[in-house]
Parts: sequence; C-alpha cells; structure tokens
Amino acid sequence: MPDFPLPIHPDLAWPFALALAWIIGEFAHRLIRIPRISSYGIVGFLLATGQSGFLPQSHGGPVMLLANIAFGLILFELGYRINLRWLRTNPWLGVTSLIESSATFSVVYLVALWFDMPFISSLLLSSLAMATSPAAVLRVVNEQRSSGQVTERILHLSAFNCVLAVFTFKVVVGLWVFQSTGDILHALWNSLIVLLVSASFGGLFGVAVPGLLARIGNTGRDATVAFAIAVIILVALTHTLMFSPVPAALAFGLMARHRRVAFSQAQQNFGALGNLLTVLLFVFMAATLEWQMVKDGFWLALALMAARFAAKTVGVVAFARVSGITWRKGFLTGMALTPLSAFVILLLEQTRHLGIGLMDQLTVLAATTLLLEVIGPIATQWALVWAKEVHNIRDN
Amino acid sequence: MPLEPFKTSQSLTLGVELELQLVNLTDFDLAAASPDMLHLLGRTDFPGNVTPEVTESMIEINTDIHTNHTELSAQLQHIRDILVLAGDKLNVGVCGGGAHPFQKWFERKIFPKPRFKEVSALYGYLSKQFTVFGQHVHIGCRSGDEALFLLHSLNRYIPHFIALSASSPYYQGVDTLFNSARLNSVFAFPLSGRAPLILNWAEFERHYFAKMEHTGVVKSMKDFYWDIRPKPEYGTIELRVCDTPLTVERAAALACYLQALCRHLLSRAEAPPAEDDYLVYNYNRFQACRFGLDGTLVHPKSHETLLLREDILTTLRHIEPHAEALGSLVALEHLYQVIDEGNDASYLRRKYADVGSLEGVVDAALNRFRGA
Repeated sequence: MPDFPLPIHPDLAWPFALALAWIIGEFAHRLIRIPRISSYGIVGFLLATGQSGFLPQSHGGPVMLLANIAFGLILFELGYRINLRWLRTNPWLGVTSLIESSATFSVVYLVALWFDMPFISSLLLSSLAMATSPAAVLRVVNEQRSSGQVTERILHLSAFNCVLAVFTFKVVVGLWVFQSTGDILHALWNSLIVLLVSASFGGLFGVAVPGLLARIGNTGRDATVAFAIAVIILVALTHTLMFSPVPAALAFGLMARHRRVAFSQAQQNFGALGNLLTVLLFVFMAATLEWQMVKDGFWLALALMAARFAAKTVGVVAFARVSGITWRKGFLTGMALTPLSAFVILLLEQTRHLGIGLMDQLTVLAATTLLLEVIGPIATQWALVWAKEVHNIRDN
Repeated sequence: MPLEPFKTSQSLTLGVELELQLVNLTDFDLAAASPDMLHLLGRTDFPGNVTPEVTESMIEINTDIHTNHTELSAQLQHIRDILVLAGDKLNVGVCGGGAHPFQKWFERKIFPKPRFKEVSALYGYLSKQFTVFGQHVHIGCRSGDEALFLLHSLNRYIPHFIALSASSPYYQGVDTLFNSARLNSVFAFPLSGRAPLILNWAEFERHYFAKMEHTGVVKSMKDFYWDIRPKPEYGTIELRVCDTPLTVERAAALACYLQALCRHLLSRAEAPPAEDDYLVYNYNRFQACRFGLDGTLVHPKSHETLLLREDILTTLRHIEPHAEALGSLVALEHLYQVIDEGNDASYLRRKYADVGSLEGVVDAALNRFRGA
C-alpha cells in the first residue's frame, strides 16, 4: 500500500486518529446502526502503519499502556457484573460455559490441523478462540442499554470463557516450555498457580479499595476515580510481575461487587473516561494488524469463524431449555458470543516465553481478529435486537 | 359496550393480586425481565395466575378464590417460593414494595401488548411513571347493590389500608417523606379517586356508567382508577389503595382484614354511607399516605380528630368476632404487630439508616420477600 500522502507528525497522528474514529463511529451508528466499536476497528486498521501509514509504529509505549488500562477497566466492570451465586442457583449455566468453551477449543483445533498448522500453534489458536471479547460484549450491551436473559448470559459466559481461555493458553505455553521434559502436570500446575496468584491479587484489591473508600467515608462519585486508579495499578503490577492481568482485573471487579460499594448509573462504564479509552482500545487493536497477514490468513480465518460460531451456538443452544430460556434465546446467546479478543489477551498476557517463530505462525489470528472485530459486535447487537432486549426509545 | 351484569359471587370470598418488582442483581435497578420470567413460569405448574404488567420490570400474580386466611396465605407463600426459584434460575431479583426507590421512569420499557401500547400512547410519561406496585384485594359480593354498599361503607377505612401497607417511602432516588409515594402517581390519572355515591346497581349502570360511556371518556370499568371499584365480571369489589407489602404474609393479613371488615359492615351496625362522608376523604387519605400510622384522621360522621394508629387498633378489636368467625385471627395478630413495630415504609427507612444506600434498601427488600 502507498504511504500516507501527507507527512504527519507522529505526535499528532494518534489524537487525529481518535477524532476520526469517533466521528465515523457516531455517523455509522446513526445512519446504518453499526456498533461504534466496529467502526473504530475499521478506522484503526485503515490508518495502521502497514496500511495507509497514518499511525506511527507503536509496539509498546504509552498508547499500548493506555490500551491495557482500557481493557483492565472493562474487565473490572465485567467482573462487577458477575454474580457467582448464579452458578449455584442455576448449575446449567456453568455446564453451558464449559461445553461451549471446550467445544470451541476442539473444533478450532481440528480446523487448524486441517489447514496444516503446527501442533503448538494450533493449540494456542484454539485456546485464544475460546474467549468472547468482554470489551465488545460489554460495549454493545451498554450502547444498546439491553437487559434480559441474552444480555445477562453473554456477560457471564464471556467472563467465564475468558478465564478458561487464559487458563488453557497458559497450559499450552507451559506445555511448550516444558516440552523438552514432557511434563504436562508441571505445566498444568504452573498455569493454575499463575491464575490463582493473579486472581488473589485482584481479590486483595477488591477488599482493600472498598475498605479504603469506607474509611474515607466516600461512597459517592469519586469512587469511580479510585477504582480506575486501582485498576491501572493492578494491570501494571500483574503485568510487571509476569502474572496475568485478565483474571486479576476480573477478580477485582468480582470482589468489589461482593463488598458492595454500589456504583451509580453514571459511573457504569467508568463514564466518559471509559468511553474515551474504548475508542483508543479498538483503534489500537486493529492498528496492530497488517494487510499482508490478513490476506494470508483469510481462508483459514473464515473457516475458523464458521467453526467457532457453530461450536458456541450449539454449545449454548443444547442447554437453553434446561437452563430456563427458549431455544430461540439460546441461539441468540450463542450468536452474541461471536466477538473475539485474541489479540488483546495475547498482548496483555505478554508471551515473553514465546519465540518469534511461534508468533509468526499465528498470523491467521490477524485475519480472524479483523473479521471478528468488525462482524462480532454487529452479531452481538443484532442478537440483542432480535431477542427484544434492547431499549429502543422509538418503540415506546 | 354496556356494562356487563354483576356476576353473583359467594359473599366474602377473597382473592389477591400483587404487582411485583423485577430487579437486576448487579445494580439493584429495575430489570426488563418479565418476558423471560413469564416464559419460565409458563413451563411450571403455577398456582393462581401470573401476567405481564405495563412495563417489563413488573410482573403481576393473582391467587385463586379463597374463603379463609389459611388457604390464602398458603397459596401466596407457594407462589412466592416459585417466583423466587424462577428468579434464582434467571439471576433476577423479585421483591415487593410500592415503588422502586431509585429507578428512573424514562428508562422503563413498555411490555409489547396492544392495550399497554394504547395506554402508553394516551398517558405518555404517566404510564411509565406508573411503574409502581400495588396490592389489589377482591371481595366477593352477592349482588351489585351489595358491592356498592360495601364500596362506599369502606370509605372511612381506606386510610387504614394505606397506612398498614405503605412501603414506598423512596421514589426516583429521594426520600419523599411520604409513607406511600406510590399513591401520588396513581392520583395523577384523570379517572382516579372515589366512585360517585350511587348505591343501586341498576342506577349506577344507567345513570352513571352509560353516561360516562356516552361521553367517550371510558369504555369499560378498567378505565376507572378508583381507590375501590366494582368488578362486575368477577362479582367483586376491588380495593386498590394498598402498596404491595414487602412480604406475602402481610399481603394475606391485609386481605383478611378487609374480609373481616366487610363482614362487620354487612351486619349493618354502622350508619349507612352518605355523600358528606367524602368531605374528609381526600384529607384522610393524604394523612395516611404522608404520615402512615402516625397520621391523624377526621371521622366522617362525628368530625372528631383521631390518631390513625388508635383508630386501627380500635377497629381491629371491634372486628375480632368477625375475624374469629372467618378463621383469620392470625391476620389480626399480624396487624397488631405492624402497629407495634411500624409498617414496611419505616422498615425500609431503618434499613437505609443502617446501610446508607438505596441499593442496600432494595437488597433488604429482596431478602425480606424471600422470607429470609
């Protein structure tokens, strides 16, 4: 692709990219009812270094840090919305989660093998494919102000399958690291420890921050800022100590929920701060992709998407009735789980152990991510619309 | 369409309808969960009946027709248990209370049913502001005349039911200082208030309903939002002033109080209702809404000032023989306790003082409904 026609000062590129993404996001949302984050993704991809070259190369650096923080905030909010008691009162929810996740893993693995991907790469790919993007799901739910069983279930299922994905991913990495010794048990154990320690970091924050707030006698608006700062510290800390920020931020949210310093409506999403960082996060994620990679992995990506969609949908539909909803809502729940967040997890979970070669074999992810980053939120949105769970002022 | 003939019912039979709140367990706001709840409940063997209400965060249940407290109370508890179980399965909270403490009316969704859409189009924001939750009690009457007699004889006791059931002190995020803020929403409707004093059913039909129908203002009895209204198709009168209490046990007690009171009134021991009784009606009703059990009343006949609390106690003692005959002394016991400990509104205010947030108040209401 040609270089961007006008030379842009690197310091100016990001602010303008954000403005452009936001404007296009608003227009597309109003004109053709596309979720805003889908537009952010398209803009990010087009402006990336590899494409128009508008955005400077930025691996690491402040933008990536901000993207990590944005994702941390989203995970925190998701954790805050998870009711663990629900797993006990409706065990079929847990079963649904395990089945849809493992079905996705298996099906994607088979497709990857079919396309002659190497063993470890196939496993890594399959584990990442398990996760539904919490960011996409939460943003669409908030944007549509939806409420109902499909909404509740996709929030819970995406939180669960994210944790399962991180766990499996760690196991596979562990397996690869220990492949020389062939010690699967050791790999399992290691991953479990990482997961548990990370989650306890989050749990600790979840006790300490509300405690601190109660101490200050502050349960009002400023709680948002306090939680945001705590999330930033938590993400930085777990990242630096080579633990896992995903379960940490989730556990933080979960614990904060059960310690109940109640959020008011305005503070959901971390308000304007959350909205701003979301633009950045989605532009950034798509900007890491290169056209060449997307083109190379296109057909495999398409096959993966279809397989993943089928696995998730069948996995959820199978337990729809017994878990208390209609077949139809079951199908829509499965469909709404389409968004994929592999790259964020990959970035967050800094695969420092991974060799460069291995990463290259995962190019197929580029295409899958791009497709699903644009199509995924649209699928989620329409699933919610068809489930009649969105709040549409015009209907009233 | 002319008013249908008044169906004859067995005198003093009773039935209860409760409008209940569906709550999101994360932020404790109302949740548009009624379609999912109705689907799930439709698959169970539900005692009584469950129906959608005007917004999707409400659900209405009603009992079968009963004759005594034991049956009514047992069925309400059974219904409660099924609702709680369904809520648990769907991660939805179910609770009583006359109003949600902090929901914003403009965020409510109207349930997709033609009548609700029409009501919504006619009343605009009133219909969403009408996301309030009441208990309706039906008492069977042998004839339209008996119904109208009871309906008007009860005028002086309306404040009792308001004060005993009041459970909506908080509304739209603030302490309204009322015990029942819910009724203020009901009064906003043009056809709310009291029925005209006509004691003969034929006359009511010809001289009132037919004329009103002719004006085009109403089509059926459903269009009247009176505090008590006759329900000819059931052969009952329907008391509509009660907030939904926080527990089904209280709902049963209130219903049986009304039943015993009606038995007392039917013994014709009191002076018959007169138009002048209604001179103090709105004032008394306001006192009960605002101050609950601490309100003061003006007696419609003697014009003496009474403490509401005292008046209820006197009445409870007075109708004990009737309650005994109906087998509902337990209900009166329950109400003595309410007088002693305060109504649900004061319970919710105490909870707010304890936990310091309206979310905590909803949480307390959820737990109380479960019977935990």
